[in-house]
Amino acid sequence: MRLAILGAGPGGYVAAIRAAQLGAQVTIIEQDEVGGTCLNWGCIPTKTLKASADALATVKGLGDYGIELHGNIVPDLSRMIDRKNKVVSTLVKGIKGLFTSWGIVVKNGRGTLQAPGEISVVLKDGSTEIVTADSIIIATGSRPSDIPTLPFDGKHVISSTEALEIRDIPGSLLVVGAGVIGCEFACIFRELGSEVTIVEALPHAVATEDGEISLILEKELKKKKIKLITGKTVEKIGIQEDGVHALLSDGKEVVAEKVLVSIGRTLNTDGIGIEKLGILTGTRGEILVNERMQTNVTGVYAIGDVTGRMLLAHKASAEGIVAAKNIMGIPCSMDYQVIPAAIFTSPEIASVGLREEQAEDQGITFRKGLFPFRALGKAHAMGEITGIVKILSDASTDRIIGAHIIGTHAADLIHEAAVAMKAGLKARDLAEMIHAHPTLSEALMEAAEDVNGEAIHLPKK
Amino acid sequence: MHPQDLRYHKEHTWVRVSGKKGTIGITDYAQDALGDIVYIDLPEVDAAVEANTEVSEIESTKSTSSVISPVSGRVLEVNEELSETPEIINEDPYERGWIAVIELENPSEVDDLLDASEYGKLVDEESK
Repeated sequence: MRLAILGAGPGGYVAAIRAAQLGAQVTIIEQDEVGGTCLNWGCIPTKTLKASADALATVKGLGDYGIELHGNIVPDLSRMIDRKNKVVSTLVKGIKGLFTSWGIVVKNGRGTLQAPGEISVVLKDGSTEIVTADSIIIATGSRPSDIPTLPFDGKHVISSTEALEIRDIPGSLLVVGAGVIGCEFACIFRELGSEVTIVEALPHAVATEDGEISLILEKELKKKKIKLITGKTVEKIGIQEDGVHALLSDGKEVVAEKVLVSIGRTLNTDGIGIEKLGILTGTRGEILVNERMQTNVTGVYAIGDVTGRMLLAHKASAEGIVAAKNIMGIPCSMDYQVIPAAIFTSPEIASVGLREEQAEDQGITFRKGLFPFRALGKAHAMGEITGIVKILSDASTDRIIGAHIIGTHAADLIHEAAVAMKAGLKARDLAEMIHAHPTLSEALMEAAEDVNGEAIHLPKK
Repeated sequence: MHPQDLRYHKEHTWVRVSGKKGTIGITDYAQDALGDIVYIDLPEVDAAVEANTEVSEIESTKSTSSVISPVSGRVLEVNEELSETPEIINEDPYERGWIAVIELENPSEVDDLLDASEYGKLVDEESK
């Protein structure tokens, strides 16, 4: 089996390795760097910068832990970016090493589908090469969206990609869009010292999260003195000597040194030849696939952001594995029921399964357990008492249908709930499972206990 | 123990009326029940406040609680000192720990509030 993969992001590279493990001869075509957005301009670089911002926050708060610090604390964004680049390059090398070990051929250039088994690749030197294959996986991902009123200029009006290359901390930053990316960057730059304003068209920050959790995040943003303006849009911008002047829909003006536009992402389905093959797309331009990741064209699969749904690296990887196995003759289907998601704001947010609103929409009667970190010994010991764990269980079966966490290490904690959901466990199972003390994980146990009104560390209701 | 010059709301807030202005805060009993206060979400100046509804939110190391306004009106001033040092509420809930000054929309509302002795009885009842 010869397999060609268009795009070496977390969807494409994972599919390549799994297919190679199963015996495929794999060629992967990438116009930028292997690892894609996730590794080069997304998940990993932002978390690397966040680690610097967190370190700064820790140092600033040392007094609370009984440690006196003499001297100045000076964040140096340029060195943070150097560190980020080093982390990224180490990981890129790691993927290249994996490719070599599995005999995966990388073509560095821009690929365009020509026929069901044929991709033409314009290589970096300008020459064109034809890659032929028995199967093809499209994994071209997405890019930051811009809006006509706010075109990126790379200097004043930037996307998340350029925000990862700024070497001087902006005095002020206007973030357009209070989604995942906008809120993550807002927290990082605020910690570094920028005056941050976020403008969001919807009524709340991270509006796709559980309502209670988005309110807690909003309060945390306020504590950090990040100004959040909701229900407003940026109508117009003008670049003047003192910075970018943004006119909001309520007539007010925000002036900032830089504007970060994070209003969403555009799928990279243009210019890759899907029309030529007659591959069907949906209303948002997403490539339509079945649960085996097959498009309507035999032998052509699509995975990751280009298929729409959640734009998550781990979802793309999971789809890549499903596609690779199907291509290699092992039938399998994608299961979207249990996909945890994390937002690396300060504090972190993580979720899996249904939100209360979704459960209501689906007509599911559910019970809710809620436990605040401030009722937990370990959280006090750590000095991290903000946030809650919420667990939803089906009222008739007690099976866990969703979990939502805001608080320190939420992104790591969510997986206990995810495993429980994958295994079809009940809230009572999680409550009866003995949790080590003192740990943050006890918050999940207590929230599961609270589903049945049995949390030990909550007062009588 | 409960200052005589204040009027009290059963949700453990107080108001000190001076002409058309009312200064509000939480009671000593409330601060003691909350424990160490770590944050207060102060209202915005100019915001409209309605009696018996949340005017602010207080976070302590133990819990997150609503501050229920004893009066209705418009926020004239907030105690900015609390945003950096909310523990002042624990130390001095009736003086330096005031939360906001409200321009009273309906001064007669105050008549419905508890006086010091009535509030004292309520607290005695609740602490039983």
